[in-house]
Amino acid sequence: MAVSPRRRGHILFCLRGIAIAVLLAVLLGPIAWIFLTSIKPLSEVYTMSLWFEPTLDNFRAIFERPFYVGDRLLNSIAISGFTVLIGVPVALAAAYSFSRFAMRFKKTLFLGVLATQFVPPIVVVLPFFLMFRQLHLLDTWTGMVWINLSIVLPFAIWMLKGFIDTIPVEMEEAAMTDGATRLRVIRDIVLPVTIPGVFVAGIFCFIFSWNDFLYALILTRKEAVTLPVTLSTFYTEEGDRWELMAATGTFILLPMFAISYFVQRHFVQGATQGSDR
Amino acid sequence: MRDRHLKYLLMMPAFLLVTATVIYPLGYAGIISFMDWRLSRSRVPTDFVFLDNFWRAFTDDPSFLNSLGVTITFVAGSAGGAVVFGLLIALLLARRGRTYSVARTVLVLPFAMSPALQGTSFRFFLNPEFGIFDAVLDALFPFLAHVDWLGSSGWAMTWLILTDMWHWGPFLSLMLIGGLLSIPRDTLEAARVDGASAWTSFWTVVLPQLMPVLAIAFVLKTVFSFKMFDYVYLLTGGGPGESTSTMTYYAFRMGFTAYDMGYASAIAFVLALLLVGVSAVYFRLLFPKGAAG
Repeated sequence: MAVSPRRRGHILFCLRGIAIAVLLAVLLGPIAWIFLTSIKPLSEVYTMSLWFEPTLDNFRAIFERPFYVGDRLLNSIAISGFTVLIGVPVALAAAYSFSRFAMRFKKTLFLGVLATQFVPPIVVVLPFFLMFRQLHLLDTWTGMVWINLSIVLPFAIWMLKGFIDTIPVEMEEAAMTDGATRLRVIRDIVLPVTIPGVFVAGIFCFIFSWNDFLYALILTRKEAVTLPVTLSTFYTEEGDRWELMAATGTFILLPMFAISYFVQRHFVQGATQGSDR
Repeated sequence: MRDRHLKYLLMMPAFLLVTATVIYPLGYAGIISFMDWRLSRSRVPTDFVFLDNFWRAFTDDPSFLNSLGVTITFVAGSAGGAVVFGLLIALLLARRGRTYSVARTVLVLPFAMSPALQGTSFRFFLNPEFGIFDAVLDALFPFLAHVDWLGSSGWAMTWLILTDMWHWGPFLSLMLIGGLLSIPRDTLEAARVDGASAWTSFWTVVLPQLMPVLAIAFVLKTVFSFKMFDYVYLLTGGGPGESTSTMTYYAFRMGFTAYDMGYASAIAFVLALLLVGVSAVYFRLLFPKGAAG
């Protein structure tokens, strides 16, 4: 080829730039379009226009009758929140035990925990529906937290065990030879260093239960309906209210923006720690 | 307290919760799948019918056999597609520097976005009259101007797969970027000094080193593709016809529109067994010495 190496490097650089720009457009475009639609006046919603008078009408509408997105927002926050608050500490205790102690059947038990991740939710949700019907837990926070734990708990145990495995045991052993009890070691030495891992696990668990759709669709009716299920109530008799879906979608998205920053950092930290040595 | 007791005590809450949330329902579902139980007729199971539900699925229900094929198409398409998409993104963005780390922040967003919201919005984006995807595609490829994206079975499946790839590709790429950045630079430089082109060093150096991560990404994605429900429900509704009705969706319909609990459980169980079978094969291939732990 007649192209000089320098010129070639130049072309490659441009191509890379274009590819990145296209990628960002593909990934961010749909999200941006949801935001835009949520602040469009009704007359502009079904057009491609980018210039319009922004309005908060859609947000006003979703909080009123018959949609009550405020209540649904509260349900979503409560259910995801309680799921994380119960799931993560329980998982942390189990993860520590898995990571630090020798036990009979430990490997089998741990593989069992992992295997539960392979169970399709549709298998579990049928019996839950029948059980909850009998226990009067359909359409309640308690029921929803219970079933969300089935997604969150095995995942959190697995993630936290991986995290604790990377913490050297020497400090704990030194403290124990100095006469500290195991519980004190856990409280004073292990807990402080596991905080970042707990935080990340908590975020993942929150995302999972915040975004759950199948369980909430089947196990809630009116009182405990969460935000994602609310979306399907906008397919109304007068037609699909896309602008209201977009406004509700904005609420579903907001916490994710804050969260994604931390998740990205977690991944890249793990990656660069290995390579900068 | 002695470690001997403590280790079990720490494990106990998790053990009880996993039992209550997964193991017990699983057993319950297993029992129901042997029963004749139509919720519309009876509050309790009426008959023990042993394997009748399974027999019915495989011999007397074209819709079930269809859902089996749809599931396999979707899993193959979306697992393969998401891993390839993820790899492309990773190759593009696995570099040091501020621009790249900002770009990587964006990669989490599609994964963190609720699949339900994604399904509903993509449905609107694909509307032939006012959808943004439709408008952009029509402008780029005029010969596609009159396609009703979700109205033809081939396109509906394609969009189901693309929607899923949009969600998972960027997330998988984060795993792969970790793998790419940890390939020692010396190895790559050595290849370059030896006169290898970027293309050759990708196939001979990068890909082999990345294999373990790629394999894990592929297994992970396969499992999640089998479990996918939200997009079918909100994007295509299983249609047109039954062309995107996966096993998960079909089991859901049997359970909650036909209220045939026994049959729905049987279908869900077939799905679970299929998933176990596929994962077993993967693990055999990936960890030949049983080193999975």
